[in-house]
Amino acid sequence: MINWSRMYALWPVHITTACCSAEFGAMMGPRLDPERFGLQAVAGGLRQCDLLIVEGTVTKKMAKRLKIVYEQMAKPRYVVAMGDCACSGGLFHDSYSIVNDVHKLFPVDVYVPGCPPRPEALLSAIVKLREKIRREEVFA
Amino acid sequence: MTTTPDQTKPLAPPITITAAKEPSTLDVSVGPQHPGSGHMRILIRVDGDYIVSVDPDIGYVHRGCEKIAEYRTAVSNIPHLERPCIIDAIHLNWGYVLPIQELQGVVVPPRGQYISTIAAEMNRIMSHLYWLAINAGVFTGHTTIFMYAFGDRDLFIELAEMLTGARLTYSFLPPGGPRRDLPAEFQDRLLKLLDYFERRLVEYDRIFFSNPLVIARAKGIGTLKREEAIRLGLTGPVLRGSGVKYDVRKVEPYGAYADLDFEIPTFEEGDSYARFLVRFEEMKQSIKIIRQALEKMPKGPIARKAPLIIPEGEAIGRVESSRGELAYMVKGDNSDKPSRVKIMNGSFRSLIAFPYLLRNVHVADLPVIYGSLDYWPLEADR
Amino acid sequence: MANQNPTREEGLANKLKTRFPEAIKNSKIEGKHRITIPFDKDKLLDIAEFMRDELGFDHVKGVAGVDDPTHKKIEILYFTASLSKPEIEDIILVLQTELARDNPTIASAVSVWESAHFHERETFEMFGVKFEGHPDLRKLLTLDNWDGPPPMLKDIKFPEMGQR
Repeated sequence: MINWSRMYALWPVHITTACCSAEFGAMMGPRLDPERFGLQAVAGGLRQCDLLIVEGTVTKKMAKRLKIVYEQMAKPRYVVAMGDCACSGGLFHDSYSIVNDVHKLFPVDVYVPGCPPRPEALLSAIVKLREKIRREEVFA
Repeated sequence: MTTTPDQTKPLAPPITITAAKEPSTLDVSVGPQHPGSGHMRILIRVDGDYIVSVDPDIGYVHRGCEKIAEYRTAVSNIPHLERPCIIDAIHLNWGYVLPIQELQGVVVPPRGQYISTIAAEMNRIMSHLYWLAINAGVFTGHTTIFMYAFGDRDLFIELAEMLTGARLTYSFLPPGGPRRDLPAEFQDRLLKLLDYFERRLVEYDRIFFSNPLVIARAKGIGTLKREEAIRLGLTGPVLRGSGVKYDVRKVEPYGAYADLDFEIPTFEEGDSYARFLVRFEEMKQSIKIIRQALEKMPKGPIARKAPLIIPEGEAIGRVESSRGELAYMVKGDNSDKPSRVKIMNGSFRSLIAFPYLLRNVHVADLPVIYGSLDYWPLEADR
Repeated sequence: MANQNPTREEGLANKLKTRFPEAIKNSKIEGKHRITIPFDKDKLLDIAEFMRDELGFDHVKGVAGVDDPTHKKIEILYFTASLSKPEIEDIILVLQTELARDNPTIASAVSVWESAHFHERETFEMFGVKFEGHPDLRKLLTLDNWDGPPPMLKDIKFPEMGQR
C-alpha cells in the first residue's frame, strides 16, 4: 500500500544538469503526459520531491550542488541517471572539468543511455523505477 | 525600512557586488536549483524587495568545448560543438563549418545551401518554441503555453527526424554540404505543418502575447536603451528589441538568404515585452522563409567532397542563431585537427546585460527579465 | 582584389596606420569583411579610443587567446565591429597582439569597450593573461571546476585526452 502511494507520486526536482534537459522537457510535454504516472513538475520545495533526474554531463561545480540537493531531499529518494554523460562520461568523458562516475556521488536507481535519450526511453525508465518501488521492502 | 530605493544616490557599480555592504541588504543566491531552473546561479543583493546589485555565477556546465576541439578531428568535432545549444544545433554546426569551408576552398552547391537554410529556419522555430515554453512561459508562471508550445515543437522535431535521422542532435552539415537530400514526402508534410502552425500562432497571441497578465508583468520591465545595447555589445533578439536592426542574415548573407525576401522584426521600446514580440515575429518570418525556399529550391547536387585536412590559416565565420550572432574563429595548421577554435555566441555576450538590467527592480521581475534575455547557460559556458 | 580606389577596408586600415605609425605597421585584408591589424600591445587603449570615437567600432564580440609555445608567445585577438554605423556594420576588425608567454600582461580594454568585460575574465582564467585595470578580474568558468594551471595552454595535456 505504501509502495503504491510512493510509486504514484514521484515528483522530480527542478534541477537541470545539462543538455538532456531538453528531452526531459519534451517528456513532460503533452504528448507523453507523465502526469498520469504521478510525475508533476511542482514549483514547490525541495523537500517534497523524491526523484532526482541527473540529466547529462555533471561538472565538478555542479556535482557539489547535486550532492547538497540529494541530501536535502527527504527519504525515500530515487535517482535516475539520464544520458550517456551521466551514465559513464559520454561524449565529453576526457574533459578536465567533469565527473565521470555519478554513482560515486549517490546511489543511482535507473540508468538511461542515449545522447540524448528519447523521451519515450526516459518514460520507460520511470516505469521501471515504479516497478522497483513496488517490489521494495518498506521496513528493511 | 526602505520601501523604495533612493534614486538620488549613485547606483552601485554595475558589475560586482559592492564590498561595502549596507546593513539593510541581504545576499541571496538564486541558485542552480530553482523553479525556473537554468543551470546558472545569480547572486543578488536585495534591499527589502529591490535588487541592488547582481553577480552572475556561471560555469556549472563548463565542459571545456574549446579545449576538446583541439583534440578531435575537424569532422568529429561537429557533435561536440553542437551540444552547447542542443535545441539550436544546426546553427552551431553551420557556424563551425563556414570557416573550415573557407580555408579549404570548398563551395557548397546551391541546392545544399537551400536545404541548410530550410533546416536552420526549422531549428529557429523549434528554439523559439522552447524559449516560449520555458523561458517566457514557466518563468512567468504561465504553464499553459508550456504545454501548447511543447506539443507543437514535437511536430517539428518529427519532421527533423525525417530529414536528418535524429531528434535534436542532427550533425547534419559536415564541411561540404548537408548529409542527406530531402526525403520524398518531406515537402508536402512541411507545408501542411506550416499552415497548421500559422493558425496556432494566432492562438499563442490570444493566450500569451495579448494576455493582460503577461503584458502587466513584462511591459516596461528591464528597459534597455538603444545606446546601451550597442555599447554593451549585445546581439540577437535582445538587440533588435532595443531598436537596432542588425541581423547577420542581412549583413553578411550566407546560405540561401541572399535570394530570399524576409524582414527583420525590430521594436523600439527595449523592454522585456518588446523582446518577447521580436521572437514571436521571427517565428512568422521563419515560416515565410521556409515557404519561399521550398518553392525556389534548385536542382542539382547537394554537397561537394571536402578534404579532411584543414589548411594553414585563420578564418572567421558567423551565422545568426536563435540567440544572436554566433561567430567561430578556426585556426588550422595543415592537420586534421584544428589548432584553435574560438566560439563567440549570443548567450555569453548577453551575460553583461544581467548586472545592467537587474538593478532597482523587484525580485519578482528577475524571472521575467531573465526569460526575455533567453540566456542559455550551456551555450555561454561551452 | 586590387582596385584603383582603395576599398573601405583599406581605407580603415590606412587611417589606423597613419594615426599610429609605430604601433601599427601592416594589415591583412581577407575578402570583403575581414581586417586583421597587428599592433603593439602598449598602445591598446589609445588605439581602442580612436577606433571607438573616430572610426565607429563600438563593441567587442570576443577576446581570444591563442597559445604558441614554439615561438614562446600568447596571441591576443580582439574581434571588434560596429553597430552604430551601417556603412561598416559587416566588417569584423581583428586587433592582434603578442604577449610574452611567461608573463602575459596587457592593459584592460574595459574602460573603452565595456562589452569586453566577461571576455577578458575568461581569457584570464583560460590562458593566465593579466588584464591590468580590469574592475573585477577573477575566475569565471573554472571556479569550482578546475584548480590547476590555466587549462587552454598547449602544454596542459590531459592524459586521457586525444587517445585516438
